[in-house]
Amino acid sequence: MPTFQLTKPLTKNIGPQNIAADIDCYLGNGGYRGWRKALGMPPDNIVKLVQDSGLRGRGGAGFNTGLKWSFVPRGEGSPAVKYLVCNADEMEPGTFKDRLLMERDPHLLIEGMAIAAYAIEARTAYIFIRGEYHLAAERLERAIAEARDQGLLGANIQGGDYSLEIYLHRSAGNYICGEETALLNALEGRRAIPRAKPPFPQVSGLWGKPTVVNNVETFCNIPHLIEMGADWYKGLGRGEDAGSKLFGVSGRVKNPGTWELPMGTPVREIIEQHAGGLQDGLKLKGFLPGGGSTDFLGPEHLDLPMDYDVIGKAGSRMGTGTIIVLDDRTCPVGLVLNLSQFFARESCGWCTPCRDGLPWVVEILQRIEKGHGLPEDLELLREQAARMGPGNTFCALAPGAAEPIQSALKLFEQDFIDHITKGCCPFL
Amino acid sequence: MPTITIDGERYEVDGDQNLLSACLAQGINLPYFCWHPAMGSVGACRQCAVIEYKDADDQRGRLVMSCMTPVKDGGIYSVTAESAREFRGGIIEDLMTNHPHDCPVCEEGGECHLQDMTEMTGHTSRRYRGKKRTHRNQYLGPFINHEMNRCIACYRCTRFYRDYAGGDDLQPLGRNNQVYFGRQRDGMLENGFSGNLVEVCPTGVFTDKTFSQHFVRKWDLQTAPSICEHCAVGCNTAPGAREAGNGRDAILRRVVNLYNRNINGYFLCDRGRFGYDYVNCDARIKKVLAKRRERIISSTAADGDRVHEEIPPRQAVQRLAQRLDEALKGRRRLLGIGSPRSSLENNYALRQLVGAESFYSGLNQRDLELLHLIDRIQCDDRIHSPTTPEIERADAVLILGEDLDNTAPRIALAVRQAARNRQKQQAADLKIPLWQDASVRQLRGDHSPIIFAGTELSGLGDIASATLFESPEQVALFADAIARLIEGADPALITLQGEARELAMRAADLLAAAAQPLIISGCGSRHGDIIRGAGRISAAIAEKSAMPCALYLACPEANSLGITQLCDPQQGALEQLALQLQATGGDDRPVSLLVLENDLYRRADRETLEAIFSRTGEVILLDSLLNDTARRADLIFPAAATAESQGTFVNSNALAQRYYAVYEGVGFIQESWRWLADAAGFCRQKSAAVSMVAGWRHSTDLTEAISREFPQLRDLAELGPDEDYRIDGLKVARQSHRYSGRTAVRAKAWVAESAPHQDPDAPMAFSMEGIQSPGKTPLQANIWSPGWNSNQSIFKFQEGIGGARKGANGGVRLRRHSQRMPDWAMPALASAERTATQSQLQALPLYRLFGSDELSARAAAIASVIDKPFVTLNAHDATAFSIRAGDSVALEINADQFRMEARLSATQPAGTIGVPYGIPQLETLSPLLPGVATLSRPEPEFATESGDDQ
Repeated sequence: MPTFQLTKPLTKNIGPQNIAADIDCYLGNGGYRGWRKALGMPPDNIVKLVQDSGLRGRGGAGFNTGLKWSFVPRGEGSPAVKYLVCNADEMEPGTFKDRLLMERDPHLLIEGMAIAAYAIEARTAYIFIRGEYHLAAERLERAIAEARDQGLLGANIQGGDYSLEIYLHRSAGNYICGEETALLNALEGRRAIPRAKPPFPQVSGLWGKPTVVNNVETFCNIPHLIEMGADWYKGLGRGEDAGSKLFGVSGRVKNPGTWELPMGTPVREIIEQHAGGLQDGLKLKGFLPGGGSTDFLGPEHLDLPMDYDVIGKAGSRMGTGTIIVLDDRTCPVGLVLNLSQFFARESCGWCTPCRDGLPWVVEILQRIEKGHGLPEDLELLREQAARMGPGNTFCALAPGAAEPIQSALKLFEQDFIDHITKGCCPFL
Repeated sequence: MPTITIDGERYEVDGDQNLLSACLAQGINLPYFCWHPAMGSVGACRQCAVIEYKDADDQRGRLVMSCMTPVKDGGIYSVTAESAREFRGGIIEDLMTNHPHDCPVCEEGGECHLQDMTEMTGHTSRRYRGKKRTHRNQYLGPFINHEMNRCIACYRCTRFYRDYAGGDDLQPLGRNNQVYFGRQRDGMLENGFSGNLVEVCPTGVFTDKTFSQHFVRKWDLQTAPSICEHCAVGCNTAPGAREAGNGRDAILRRVVNLYNRNINGYFLCDRGRFGYDYVNCDARIKKVLAKRRERIISSTAADGDRVHEEIPPRQAVQRLAQRLDEALKGRRRLLGIGSPRSSLENNYALRQLVGAESFYSGLNQRDLELLHLIDRIQCDDRIHSPTTPEIERADAVLILGEDLDNTAPRIALAVRQAARNRQKQQAADLKIPLWQDASVRQLRGDHSPIIFAGTELSGLGDIASATLFESPEQVALFADAIARLIEGADPALITLQGEARELAMRAADLLAAAAQPLIISGCGSRHGDIIRGAGRISAAIAEKSAMPCALYLACPEANSLGITQLCDPQQGALEQLALQLQATGGDDRPVSLLVLENDLYRRADRETLEAIFSRTGEVILLDSLLNDTARRADLIFPAAATAESQGTFVNSNALAQRYYAVYEGVGFIQESWRWLADAAGFCRQKSAAVSMVAGWRHSTDLTEAISREFPQLRDLAELGPDEDYRIDGLKVARQSHRYSGRTAVRAKAWVAESAPHQDPDAPMAFSMEGIQSPGKTPLQANIWSPGWNSNQSIFKFQEGIGGARKGANGGVRLRRHSQRMPDWAMPALASAERTATQSQLQALPLYRLFGSDELSARAAAIASVIDKPFVTLNAHDATAFSIRAGDSVALEINADQFRMEARLSATQPAGTIGVPYGIPQLETLSPLLPGVATLSRPEPEFATESGDDQ
């Protein structure tokens, strides 16, 4: 047991230099202790431990990780082939947390995946990584090879019965692959479109076999959680939620970046202390708390703690926990247009409200931004956003895309009206 | 049955259905795009949204996609709630952002599901102000037009093409609103069911290119229920024709599917859909032709060929009548040759006229024996001839010697669905409803076992769990071994070796263990032992399970089993005719040969035909197209094609079905039996039989006569009403109530409206007058319902979604004497010697969807894609003979020589070669298959000469 108080389990190996900890360094720093401990535990106990720790999926949805694992049929009579998949297709606008973890401490991810695979009795695991993440992919490949050389992966790990292979798959690049079933389709070589549920991946996932898909950061929480226990993990959080998390800030702040902080850290603290506050002469007008597909919150929400349910109650989502700051000199229409263009481009093309609705939104926003908007356009935008609401579309892409649109129309309505009445963008 | 409430009304609905099906089945109009009754739900278009309420107190409810929502007993839903209507209107508005406003020039217009659904949602004015996205269209071959700008991305096309029909060259490409449904590059769609895209696509992306050549709107087509004449499956079709006008003759314009749950369901093959155009081809016989008297000095005609001139029909009929008179007086012999591609009525008329003893089937000995064997096996009460839905439910399938995709394509499509039964079982275990197509298909379970043994497997290779490519003799031994294993024989006594032995054991186990085993075979290998083997396996399974076993035996032609009913076994083959003509020692009476709709050169070898023609003073042909036999004919009567006449075909399932005239043939075209009846009418002294023929006025007169004479056909009269039948005092209208130009079309010549032609055969009018509703009678083939102008409207006329067509009898089964096969003859031993020599190769038939069928091969679009003559060799044999792929080789069989291109195949059994059956230039080769052939590389001289020709 380390004697010091470990508060930053995710980034403890990450220093200021852009280098990845190699396996010697990782092992020297206590690496793979969680994995060795896990190998001595019955898988069910690991699932229960993770469930009890309150670890929630860090990809954005915030589902209890252990609970997700528990849906996989395990033990005798369960399917012989199961898969574990790491969702490393980090493409949420404004989000760059998984990249940090993979580039700087690839073994932490591998260790977390190994434990998770063991817990669900999978013997093959895949890392589905965003195609643009060249450096992360190189470093992960090297780390996987190192772990194999050390007998931490591969056949009969540490001389036991358990074997595990981890493969790295580089994505062709598609935001929709962040949706776990679209990811599975892409991994199988099919079109990256979300699958119908049920069956859920835990029952019929990759190639029809039980599969768990978790985010990079989620896996990175596992090694220390196993090593230190659920209570330690719960204690890391400042608010309702357990553990620590990578939070980030982008936008016109003095010190944009990403930091590991306890769950429940207030937004103001993240923006003002860690990101250094807004650049001189700018005022905060609003912020997207968890990436491009979350609702805008206003300055009145700055004191909210970053906990899944608290942000949810305020009318937005914690998402990936990476904040995009909107200042008073940046055009909110332009920001929403930029995001909508991204989502319209990334729509998989499967269902109508997303495929045909988002390009229409872009068309309207472009006109408004250029000063050719019409008064009735705002109503049309609201209608489009409502049509993309949850349940109306096949997956969560369009509802996510609608969130910044609908909230901007509420919070910054006057800016939209000004564009239309003045016939130009007032921020130019 | 669950009870649900929709907008305050209570309905009892099928609990296995989704809410959309349930609503449609109750007659509630609810718009949809991506759902298809045969393909289930995927939730892509979001068009069918309704409101679901938690309970009676819930006032707001929740928007759900009805196609993705299982019906729940006591469920409360609203289709008309304002929020649901607004959402559906919004979806249409989204879909229409990129849809061109080209309805007036779009060939889908008037039968466009997108038009209908847009109307239904009430979306009228456009708010989108941006540019529409545009796509480049592809060349997809001679059958299908591609106009991608019209696409609304419902994914039905690729779901049908890939998921349902197993094609892989059409796919969704790209993403977002640029998603593109096409091929990786321009080129003909490879799947043999591509034509269904025309009907599956809810708008005008995929349209019928052959129809474009002579396009009219759906409402300007007259139609009637018909049966496809291009194979023996008996798919129901609705051909469309437009009456003469604007200087054009009446022509057949297109064929679309006519739903029959037990046979074709919603889908046709491309031969059936695009083969119709033979009716309009240049070789069509429209006038009466007779041999020219004068000598022709220079002609391209070969020795023995006749040169014809047109003569008045009356003169020809009188000449035929004169022959009848002479025959009745004993001064002339009159012989008749029938045809498996002509109706029971036509064949019966000829048989009646010449007498049963002088009537021949028009088939060679081998083909006729195979048909009698099939007929006989089907009489065994242990054998059940399965319908298409039954085939789709099979959980283990054994296919013996039949390349289904080319000989009975629609059955192959059904087998493809059967391959999914394991997956469906897995879905059922996971409590996933089967209509949840996207969910079911992502269960990546194994295919249900499909085992194939034969020469060639074209389309089902991707789903076959095991294949054995062997000569017909070996396949027969394989089948026999399986049968004996199921019967309980000691495996040690099975003489098969190696892979075949192992597969036989596996097949026997699988079939014996299956809940719904299915055996498929047929005439494809032209080898009786294979058919017997299939029968024996089925009988053995039936003995074990004490239930009849499903055995589908594919026959070659539309009325193969029909003509079999009119000929006694042991009699009626062309070889017998030749022998009889040779053997008539003292009889020097002149011989007149009446040939009914048959090209004898495709049926019998040259010697047999020479024996027949050389002893025949006069050949009288009744047919629709000029063919090789026509060149030997002294008198030719223009016969009506299927779409121009009424008659009965008996399909491979021994199901008799009636087809009706869609329009009247141009010129002097009429049914063959009418020519015969006309001639009989001119006879001076009539025998009883000739009087009977002369007395026929209506097609149903013949049907009744047949049902009286043949006990197995006694239900034939129940096929449909006769010409006097009326509904509310009205006939059934062949033209739609929107038929345009009724008075204008001939106005330049005559302003008065001319009286419509009367149909003497059916209670149907060649006009707009009469019953228009397909709900009132299955005789109405124009599937239309208010607000539903496309063929999607068929659900309005089904007994529940995907159920039988309301009021349809679906044909009548032959009533044959149930009699068990006393024993199954042992298959002939195949020679163990496998060393092939170039002069001792076994030539086996290979069938082609396009080309092997005589009539469809003459349709312009199909003719353009028929393969050139080729021969397929086993790669090892080719090396041994120093033949390379692409070489031009000469094939000699039965002293006939054919030039063709050599192709190599990994699956062609050693010692055999594959030759395409019936394709142009090789028609006369078909009766010789299978047979012993010699393959050689042509003399260099010969090659140079042919090179010069090109």
